[in-house]
Amino acid sequence: MLQILVVCGAGLGSSFACQMSVESVLQDIGVKASVDHSDISSAAGTRADIIISGKNFESQFQRYDLPMDLIFLDRLVDKKEIEEKLVPVLKAKGAL
Amino acid sequence: MAVIDFIINSILTQASITIALIAFAGLLLQRKPFGEVMSGSFKTMLGFLVLSAGSSIIVGSLLYFGDIFSEGFGMEGIVPSIEAINGQAMNDLGLANQIALTFLAIFIFNILLARLTRWKYIFLTGQALLWMATMTTVFGSAAGFSGIGLILAGGLVGGIFAVAMPAIAQPIVKKITGTDDIALGHFCTIGYMFAAGIAKITGKNSDSTENIKFPKGLGFLSDTYLSVAIVMVPLYVVTSIFAGAEFGTELSGDVNYIVYAFLQAVQFVVGVYVLLSGVRLLLAEIVPAFRGIALKVVPDAKPALDCPVLFPYAPNAVTAGFITTTIGTVIAMFVLPWFGLAMILPGMLTNFFAGGTAGIFMNAVGGKRGVLIGGIAHGFFITLLPALLVPHFNSLGFVNTTATDVDTVTAGLLFEWLIHPIMNLFA
Repeated sequence: MLQILVVCGAGLGSSFACQMSVESVLQDIGVKASVDHSDISSAAGTRADIIISGKNFESQFQRYDLPMDLIFLDRLVDKKEIEEKLVPVLKAKGAL
Repeated sequence: MAVIDFIINSILTQASITIALIAFAGLLLQRKPFGEVMSGSFKTMLGFLVLSAGSSIIVGSLLYFGDIFSEGFGMEGIVPSIEAINGQAMNDLGLANQIALTFLAIFIFNILLARLTRWKYIFLTGQALLWMATMTTVFGSAAGFSGIGLILAGGLVGGIFAVAMPAIAQPIVKKITGTDDIALGHFCTIGYMFAAGIAKITGKNSDSTENIKFPKGLGFLSDTYLSVAIVMVPLYVVTSIFAGAEFGTELSGDVNYIVYAFLQAVQFVVGVYVLLSGVRLLLAEIVPAFRGIALKVVPDAKPALDCPVLFPYAPNAVTAGFITTTIGTVIAMFVLPWFGLAMILPGMLTNFFAGGTAGIFMNAVGGKRGVLIGGIAHGFFITLLPALLVPHFNSLGFVNTTATDVDTVTAGLLFEWLIHPIMNLFA
């Protein structure tokens, strides 16, 4: 099962809202994945295949050399933007 | 009869079970498969108990800090933390059941109000609703409400805030995001509007913060727990030095008293981390269920979302607002005691989220100058309101702490200053 993790500062509100948008995009394009959300402090230690976060966290993630695909969004709950950025990654992973 | 007694007195008095049952009912209503119903209910219960464990860690650290602070400076230093207030209200005041049910009542009133009024907002920031439920329950019961009345009063007040706050912020949110699709659901909105007002007056024709080049090194500020630690560690360590070796060693035993202070500061962050992890588990099932039901009842509703949803629109404004708000809270820390109010230490969690969001608001209407002047005023404002509540919190038995998010503080003050006297007339 493909693991997607959505990340924000405290891992409570905006990452959760983004997670719900990601889940509905996945449903629309017919991909099964398990989506969860967490805070940035814990994100480096997780084993997700894809991490999705806000543009403002990009510099934070650059400090870690993470093996998973990273996606940074301008608009965390915009399904169009999520789909545009997520579909190529899913295709590369062979999940779509 | 004995069975019913057992259920009422031994099971339903356990808030973690009550909350699990709420989730259980919600999952059944959504006709989820049985496995998901069970795992979701269990996760919710686990979340509640993790939250309680985090609360105990915070309280332990705050008790220690209170001791060294009063020894070192001869006065009380209050740590503003809505998480600590919530934890203490649930654990030590025995209000957990009422808070859980009020939380549910706020959901229901939110949906009703969105359906019946022009304010079509569905408030999806679960933890903020939990803080609001905490405050309305604590101050509602202090005002003389109990039982169903307490839950309805808290639910109605919280429900009004849940639609009114996104509504008053929406004109500026539209300006920031360029769309009318999403709203802001965060209970610091009165502070944002205050800050934006100041910024509008002071920041005419000022350039946007997004043209400032901030050093890359400030990126760590967006790491919530790290930025809390960066403030708490010096605060504890310096205070322990003022309290002195003799006093410090009484508390620290075999550990060097300064090292102990350092570790206790980190313990505070650990407590916040654990408590918020509990909140995350607790909300994982409840929020999507609420969203699903709400959108069925109010199809044209806008989701009101947590403040970091706005952060990518103006990341520099977030950093700038955080810094200027922090300056304002430090000034207020020294100034408020002159007026006979408590000394409130800067609360870094709020400073980051509320300060950062206020930064975006202020930049939208008043650019750089607006963020600087408005931010300092904002920091002062969000310290003043919680300071007004300190005497009430002390009389209710809270340890060394006060609430943070100004909308929830306003709800508390509303009960204390307006509803309580009215209740007394009828009592």
